Amino acid sequence: MTNISNLSLLTMILFVMIPVSLSYLFSLGIGKSAIWSSIRGVVQLFFIGYVLTFLFSMPDWQGIGLWVAVMLVIASLQAAKRGKGIPYAFLLSLSSLILIEVFVLSLWIAFDIIPFQSEQVIPMSGMIIGNSMVATGLAFERMKNEFHDSKGKILAALSLGANASQASKMIIRKTIRAAMIPNVDGLKTIGLVQLPGMMTGLILGGASPIEAIRYQIVISISIFSSVSICAMIISLVTYRFFFNRKLQLLEGKGGRK
Amino acid sequence: MKKLIEVDHVSNERVSNVQFSLTEGSLTTIIGPSGAGKSSLLLLLNRLEDPDKGEIHFKGKKISDFPISELRRNIGMVFQQAHLFDGTVEDNLKFGPSLQKKWEPNDGVKLLAKVQLPEEFLTKEVENLSGGEQQRVAFARTLANNPEVLLLDEVTSALDMRTVELMEELLHKLVQEEGKTILMITHDLKQAKRLGSYTLFMNEGKVEEQGETSSLFQQPKTAALKHFFEG
Repeated sequence: MTNISNLSLLTMILFVMIPVSLSYLFSLGIGKSAIWSSIRGVVQLFFIGYVLTFLFSMPDWQGIGLWVAVMLVIASLQAAKRGKGIPYAFLLSLSSLILIEVFVLSLWIAFDIIPFQSEQVIPMSGMIIGNSMVATGLAFERMKNEFHDSKGKILAALSLGANASQASKMIIRKTIRAAMIPNVDGLKTIGLVQLPGMMTGLILGGASPIEAIRYQIVISISIFSSVSICAMIISLVTYRFFFNRKLQLLEGKGGRK
Repeated sequence: MKKLIEVDHVSNERVSNVQFSLTEGSLTTIIGPSGAGKSSLLLLLNRLEDPDKGEIHFKGKKISDFPISELRRNIGMVFQQAHLFDGTVEDNLKFGPSLQKKWEPNDGVKLLAKVQLPEEFLTKEVENLSGGEQQRVAFARTLANNPEVLLLDEVTSALDMRTVELMEELLHKLVQEEGKTILMITHDLKQAKRLGSYTLFMNEGKVEEQGETSSLFQQPKTAALKHFFEG
């Protein structure tokens, strides 16, 4: 793999200047934000680079344990933001992300798909946790919006004698479906429209395309499974918060009156 | 005649000290300006909301003493908007009965016949129905549970004249032949006069006046009702 020198890296400023110039030219008002985001991104990535170097120097179980825990907490905090108003959103996000990570990692290790090494487990777990975090956040948001938008249908279902689970069935179905569809579409066109990030990285790193594809299959299918499970857990647990014990729909987006 | 529902000094955020009763096998209409608390009152009777004060009795028993789903099946409600579930007309009609595993293959046709829709509608997707057809399916969906009491929230407001006539005919039959008890909100005063044997006038969350429909329309007592009739 060719090393990118600091000088070469500096030329990336030119690439940043293009959107910044466009922003000024068309008065988009995102020039400052573009510069700030680029600087922040560079600093963050260098920081993570050094952190990963440090983690990879530690014994595998320590490095993996420490960084996976950090990723889980950050991802849960981020996902819970979208679940604002839903009780226990952070704990719910954290538990489902832990469950997903343990489930996926156990299968990878048990079936000898990847070795239990920091260099392998940390980046791959990051992809699983990151995608599951997005799915969790979207599931929270979708549940809140659906309960708000479909209030009339839910009241109609309750008035016909449905319990909370029966009245929410259509919303749960829509939420899980919404989480799965982008992945189903993504899997259909994988490699044809664009080479997935992991595969690209491995090829750039010198791996053969066939070897890179094997990793990509593992990660794509694991992500597909994880986001589906996450959306399912979130919707199956949170729908209850939108009702009281008398099977009455609670007002407000987060379910609470 | 037996009192099927008794509302005793009921209040919450939107209704205040409401008191009336519904006689078995009667059709009572509720009239009043928008925001008078009419729809909120129906939600209380179906226990989609609970009162802060007062009691509601059904068949002499507090409604809070009934299992909620059983009560809601017996006091059915049709909303102002159809609120049909995604899927076919049949999916909607069997929703209530299926929860109790009481759906028979022929039930859909019978229910459609009640609301004067042909059998072919069973397999139609609800999104392809007109507003009037959707409202009739919503009505049939509530009838599928065979409730003793029907709470109707302006169910004919979006219908054309012909469909309104059909629905009124159905309401008459339900009361006269099947002994159903109906409480119906309507903005159409002529309809309230045509259909109701008893009428409640609601204003600012209160039942300002109530009585036999004919005498209430002929001799309104309160200034608010007189003003309401004057439009």
